[in-house]
Amino acid sequence: MINHHPSDFNLARLAGGTLDAGPRLVVATHLSGCPQCRTRLGSFEAAGGAMLDEAAPAQLSLDAFRQTLTRLDDADPPAEPQPRVLHPDLPPPLNAYEIGPWRGFRRGFQWRRLRLPESPGANVIMLKVAAGQPVPHHGHSGTEYTQVLTGSYSDALGRFSAGDCVELDEDVDHQPVVDPDSECVCLTALEGKLRLSGWIGRLIQPLIGI
Amino acid sequence: MSAPAPSADDMKLWLNAVAAKQDRAAFGRLFHYFAPRIASLMERSGLNAAEAEEISQETMVAVWRKAALYDPAQAGVSTWVFTIARNMRIDLARKASRASAGLAALGELPMRLEASVEDMALANERDARVRRAMATLSPEQATVLRLSFFAEKPHAEIARELSLPLGTVKSRTRLAMAKIRALLERDL
Repeated sequence: MINHHPSDFNLARLAGGTLDAGPRLVVATHLSGCPQCRTRLGSFEAAGGAMLDEAAPAQLSLDAFRQTLTRLDDADPPAEPQPRVLHPDLPPPLNAYEIGPWRGFRRGFQWRRLRLPESPGANVIMLKVAAGQPVPHHGHSGTEYTQVLTGSYSDALGRFSAGDCVELDEDVDHQPVVDPDSECVCLTALEGKLRLSGWIGRLIQPLIGI
Repeated sequence: MSAPAPSADDMKLWLNAVAAKQDRAAFGRLFHYFAPRIASLMERSGLNAAEAEEISQETMVAVWRKAALYDPAQAGVSTWVFTIARNMRIDLARKASRASAGLAALGELPMRLEASVEDMALANERDARVRRAMATLSPEQATVLRLSFFAEKPHAEIARELSLPLGTVKSRTRLAMAKIRALLERDL
């Protein structure tokens, strides 16, 4: 049962194509498991279609149509190769990405970084935290987007379990604690920088590299 | 000079003719309607005129090639064209357009080949509802909706640009979206 969904604002940005690559991947992962949000996205895309209909036509160059007809005659481009599935255990939007090895200097808290070829600077990581363990207390300089992949955690804002998507604004400081029944794996993207608090946070921040 | 705006059904007929028999006259009608509007949206989202025209041409080439994939049960023609243009713009933004798994996953949301009449009626109805809902937005709500669609800005920057408190921008966005959704989801 999914209880937490992406905001309307961010679904509209996804529909309009203005959501950054990292957050887009997190929200797309949520959509792959949430038919309700796919319907909402469809509504916002329909709003985009309406804006297209209402747009004042721009002046194109005189031979724009002729140029386009010429391009129709170009050989069809080779079909784009289907992205190779590298991680069959992960949801479809994630499973073709290169993901670094799990890292961590204590067993209860590990992370791996996703490489997004379309946006090399994107801060996207998977976090794995053992049952009952806390995630270091942190704030953010931008919005944090988290999709819970397995397990569950709780913080001052509520309880979040597999399938839930959370957006946390820059003004939120929180300390999630994984629920005692099982480990929790999350996909997290940041629009800005993470601010880890405390000595352990300051110690691991450069290691996580976000 | 300007021809009357084509109806949603006209557009479906033209797209069908492109899919079924590579009908260039029908493609021409789609081009003359959509290409200048795509360029207009692209300029609004910050591209210069040359880039905007390039995206509009690329989008129309994709419309030609993918016409057979259009599913009237999923969306109206304008919505379908909008999503293609959006994806083209994202491709342009990242240039290296390989490995677009995140977006590819979006493009592959369930497509059914056999659209029932009811499905098509629902898609048509949704498009009509979206248009009615958008017409009811206040100018302020319409502005935040446009900014979230066309400007790559988080709430905080939109707030700075409009000289509004962040909370106001968020609540306007929420209200605008809620209004659209309420009209969409009623009776569905």
